[in-house]
Amino acid sequence: MTVVRTGLRARPAAARTRSTPSRRALKAWGFMLPAGALLLAMTVVPTLYLAYCAFRHEDLLGPNSRWVGLENFRHVLGDPNIWADALTTLQFVALAVAVEMALGLGLALMLSRKLAETDLLTALFILPLGVTPVVSALVFRVLLDPAYGWVDYYLQSWGLIDQPIDWFGEPFYAWTAVIGLDVWQWTPFVALILLAGLQGVPSEPKEAARLDGANALQLFWHIILPFMAPFLAIALVFRAIEAFKTFGSVFVLTGGGPGTSTSLINLDLYRIALQNFDIGAAAALGICFLVVLSLIMGRLLAVLNRNTDILED
Amino acid sequence: MRRFLADTLFRLLLWGAAIIALFPVIWVVLTSIKPPELSQALPPVWDFAPTLQSYRDVLGGNTYTSQAFGTLLMHSLIVTVASTLLGLALGVPAAYALARFRFRGKRGTANWILSTIMFPPAVSVVPVFIFASKLGLTDTFPVLVVPYAAFNLPMVIWMLRSFIKQIPHEIEEAAMVDGASQGAVLRYIVLPLLMPGIVAASLLSAMLAWNEFLFALTLTRSAAKTAPVGISEFTNMYGTQWGSLTAAATVTVAPILLATLVLRRRLVEGLTFGAVK
Repeated sequence: MTVVRTGLRARPAAARTRSTPSRRALKAWGFMLPAGALLLAMTVVPTLYLAYCAFRHEDLLGPNSRWVGLENFRHVLGDPNIWADALTTLQFVALAVAVEMALGLGLALMLSRKLAETDLLTALFILPLGVTPVVSALVFRVLLDPAYGWVDYYLQSWGLIDQPIDWFGEPFYAWTAVIGLDVWQWTPFVALILLAGLQGVPSEPKEAARLDGANALQLFWHIILPFMAPFLAIALVFRAIEAFKTFGSVFVLTGGGPGTSTSLINLDLYRIALQNFDIGAAAALGICFLVVLSLIMGRLLAVLNRNTDILED
Repeated sequence: MRRFLADTLFRLLLWGAAIIALFPVIWVVLTSIKPPELSQALPPVWDFAPTLQSYRDVLGGNTYTSQAFGTLLMHSLIVTVASTLLGLALGVPAAYALARFRFRGKRGTANWILSTIMFPPAVSVVPVFIFASKLGLTDTFPVLVVPYAAFNLPMVIWMLRSFIKQIPHEIEEAAMVDGASQGAVLRYIVLPLLMPGIVAASLLSAMLAWNEFLFALTLTRSAAKTAPVGISEFTNMYGTQWGSLTAAATVTVAPILLATLVLRRRLVEGLTFGAVK
């Protein structure tokens, strides 16, 4: 043992060879095992169980559970409301993320300009990020209440509207509220990441471009944006992922209404499984949702891979 | 002169945006210290004698809701701390293996771990609800702690992996040359150097657990009910009690808000996966 150690001291780089590759691999899997097991238990096991339930009628309380073949899929995929809500989900994610990226970039660009109070402003802009989403949804709901809400009251008293707006009675206004809430909550997340990126843009290329007579737009497009690509990709991908998981804020703010105009697939899953207790139908819908999401996730990972090196070994 | 004009324009835009960003937060705090009977008045009352009545009502359970809000905060704290610690205990070794070892199937495993971040809680809540009912685990802490730790794991592992990669490998090699075992290297060399990463990962994990709503709503009734579910009950058949709602919201949001403010640089480092040096 002593001999081996002395040998290694002489050649530090050889430390890797102390255990054979297969023993090291075994050790690596040992380190991975607990985390891997929990992730398997919380993703793969539920998926398999849902896949099983999707072909069955599950009677949670009585003895009437039985195989029904493709009945659940036919039921779910034959329901025009489900297709409408799938579209609603895509619209919600696309719209919310697009607005957040645009506003976040604008905010980051403004904050990257050095003013005396920049640090204070940055700190203030972070605040919505820390507010519990259910709380912000409740606050929006109270503020937008047509009878008691401050928003309608002040809009009226400033003469901007004649009638109170029924925020949760008309699809257009309900959408405005839902998107507004998501944008209010998550634009700081985008801005924070993009600001970090902007502060990392080296000054030499900027100076060089300016000396060559580039205007602000050219500077932004040809110098700053390429440096920002990894940060834009990270913000976009993680915002999109989280937006697909949205539940609590919409559940509390509109409950999916009016009608089903703001009903996301996540709300449908909750309603079908945990209010109607139609486990089979919820399982079938869940499986379809997972298939679509894994396709989207593949695209998002490709975006991350193209623009950043965080997926590299 | 042009510079001054530009600065002024940016100032106006930024402060305008800041007021929009802050207004809901300010409204919550303001309404929580209003005398409860004035909280819902229209036109809004701006001139009032501040009172802590709503806080006393909420924390003491003197509201229409069934439980004192202080109890729910305690539940939230237990679930948050436990799930964050569990996530770190599982995440640190996994992140270390992914950063420092070479083995077959590593890239595939790493990408699989990251892609589980996409798994929507609204999908997994159904099987978890059924399993928990069959095992008699509904309304207990573990039924929230374990899923929350799992939700956080992909983010924790990927963030810590990027932090570990930034630690010079030579330090670990030197320790191993001196005879330290892999576990000792992780415990005494990597862990202390990893503290900034652990802080960032803990903050994000704690935020998720503290704010989570769907699992808490579905899987708990009273013995493990958390603060977000409790807050949502301040709007009920008696209408919305603005004073109670905003006081509860303030005490719920304050800790996370303060932590976010204080640790915001760590947070950014973590969220950009080491893309910022």
